[in-house]
Amino acid sequence: MMNSKKRKRTGFLLILPLLILFLGLTIYPLIYMIYMSFHQYSLASWEEPRFIGWENYREILRDRTASSSVSFTLFLLFTAVPLEILLGIGIAFLIRDVWGERALRSSLIIPMTIPPVVAGIAWKMLYNYEFGPINYFLSLFGLPKVSWLGSQFFARLGVLLIDVWQWTPFIFLVIYAGLQSIPRDVVEASLVDGASGWSAMRYIELPLLRPLIWVTLIIRVIDVLKLFDIVYMVTFGGPGSATHSYSFYIYKVGISFGWDVGYASALSVILLLVVTVLTNLLIRFLRLSETLGL
Amino acid sequence: MRKLTITSMIFIVLVFGFSLGYATELAVWSSPDNADALFELAQNFMQAHPEIQIEVTPLSWEVLYPRILQDITAGVGAFDVTTWDLMTAGAIAPGMLDLEAFAQEHPDLVDPDFDDDDFIPTARYIYGYWGDKRIGQPFYGAAMFFFYRQDLFQDKALQEKFQAQYGRELRVPETWQEAKEVAQFFTKKFNPDSPTEYGIGLMFPRTHTLFYMFLNFFGPYRRSPEGIEKFGEVDLDWGDLFTADHQPAFNSEEGVKAIQDMIDLLPYSSDPLGSDYGETLEAFSKGMVAMVPQWTACMASWQESPDLQPFEEKVGIAIMPGKAPVSGGWGVGINAFSKNQEAAFQFIQYATSKEGDKIQWLKYRVGPTRKSVIEDPEVIADAPWLKDVYLPSLEGASHRPRIPEEPRVEDVLVGTISEILLGQAPNSIETLNLVAEEWKKVLSK
Repeated sequence: MMNSKKRKRTGFLLILPLLILFLGLTIYPLIYMIYMSFHQYSLASWEEPRFIGWENYREILRDRTASSSVSFTLFLLFTAVPLEILLGIGIAFLIRDVWGERALRSSLIIPMTIPPVVAGIAWKMLYNYEFGPINYFLSLFGLPKVSWLGSQFFARLGVLLIDVWQWTPFIFLVIYAGLQSIPRDVVEASLVDGASGWSAMRYIELPLLRPLIWVTLIIRVIDVLKLFDIVYMVTFGGPGSATHSYSFYIYKVGISFGWDVGYASALSVILLLVVTVLTNLLIRFLRLSETLGL
Repeated sequence: MRKLTITSMIFIVLVFGFSLGYATELAVWSSPDNADALFELAQNFMQAHPEIQIEVTPLSWEVLYPRILQDITAGVGAFDVTTWDLMTAGAIAPGMLDLEAFAQEHPDLVDPDFDDDDFIPTARYIYGYWGDKRIGQPFYGAAMFFFYRQDLFQDKALQEKFQAQYGRELRVPETWQEAKEVAQFFTKKFNPDSPTEYGIGLMFPRTHTLFYMFLNFFGPYRRSPEGIEKFGEVDLDWGDLFTADHQPAFNSEEGVKAIQDMIDLLPYSSDPLGSDYGETLEAFSKGMVAMVPQWTACMASWQESPDLQPFEEKVGIAIMPGKAPVSGGWGVGINAFSKNQEAAFQFIQYATSKEGDKIQWLKYRVGPTRKSVIEDPEVIADAPWLKDVYLPSLEGASHRPRIPEEPRVEDVLVGTISEILLGQAPNSIETLNLVAEEWKKVLSK
């Protein structure tokens, strides 16, 4: 009896530092953020926080930039994520057993290893209207120069391309690793039974990979909702409000505008709610808890 | 073990001895364009004051302002001295030391040769004051200038062709109307014989650049006699985009005209909505553009450009068309929570002295803020245009708001102007009224 109590106490003492860190660095800021979202508080105004109830939340509904940032984020969610998943899965299957598989595998994951800020600088140079390599190559085919950062359509396409370039390798890597873990004898048995390569992939490998695909889907959805660095480095939300992502807008309100802590907190609370609800819906809808044994 | 103990003791003595040798350590935060000059000025100052150590930390424009605000609001005192962008004056003022009050309390620290009246009056206010409070000393004087290819404007064949085409002589444009014709003439798409690809290098991205670029176009209307009569005198804290009684002034016929001037110039520029400072600098540097509105900081790069040699013959500097260029620039001030205010006061006094002002211009192209430096024979020999172009530009400049809400109202206006330039919103008073309403909402909070 004493031993069990002592063990519990030791266990508690061992996790105590982590618990303090977790409370201090996650729970306290979260509660403070929710608290501040009901206040008018901007560091630039030099006034004490003032309770304003739901006003910040009502303001979000009236805020044109907030709605356009939601629209761009949704655009990325419904274009970038499916593209990345399809491409990632496709590449994982295609490079299997081809000559130079190892080298291909290593080179394919390079974009993912580049810090987004560095990637942003590089892509900004690639998109340069006069001196950028992309427009140079287009000109070799007699195509006109494209204003990648000065037109609404191409700026959105530009951000989409960067996201797909950078994060398809992540999907590829996870799916490729999953493929390696599928027992070969299961696939070979199906082939012996007369299944074609396509059928084996469609009815055996893909169903076995499903939990991994769903997990990558959830991770990418959360990532896209948080997209900030590429927008900050390449388009700064422009032209107009074409490429304002939601997280980028939170940054502008929270930091660029002179620490408008109250309104930025309200925007962040909304993002947190959306991410939480969406993730839970996905987990429930995709029955991930059953598949992953959660 | 003995060796280890002795080594450790020597190390401790050295470290403590070293730090005890300097009574004061000043942390100086600076924007990158001021940092090199400040670094040299700090070296000079430390030679005269070996008891004071100065560390200059460059922080990018995007980082510096939030960091200053964060520090002074929390009262941490992480920096002693900082350069501050004139637009941030209102936001940071409560956390900056009142230099006039401090000088009165410490008359022994005031340099008798400092000569405060020597500052250009506009510079003295916009880089020094918020209301009645002296929050800084003028450090980096700046307004935008109109750089042009002098060799092309002096070319006889081009002059004749321009005369034949437009019925007037080719000269550096003095108004935006003139600029449109000249820009068209120097754009290959509209004039296949043009020696340059584009007439003008414009930067209208969706950043604060578009905000200050708009003022180059709105300023001439706002500062015209009709503009002054309609909107009243310009309040230097609220800037040219407001009326004298602090109401938005851009939601007017003048605002629409200014944006129309910008729209009219778009065809003569390379990717204006996708270009910023770097792109226009590069295009002019490569000889692709005949004219470009820019800051003086570009000159250092252009002076090295092989396509612009000999620089003095090829590049000319003029006052912005409309003669109301937007002002920029930096003051240097002291954190009200600094524990080293006396040393900080002495340092900024030296950095903004006549000697400091001259060094920073001659070696780092940081714009002077003192009349005596602009009239200095060595400076005149180096840059004769300072007197004829720089001084009137600074004195006649149009100003951005310096109120605490500036970043927020800036973003609202930039978003809408960007949409108008893209053709997504009409260029009308109604569109600008929506922005004005947003501004009022932000200001009423």
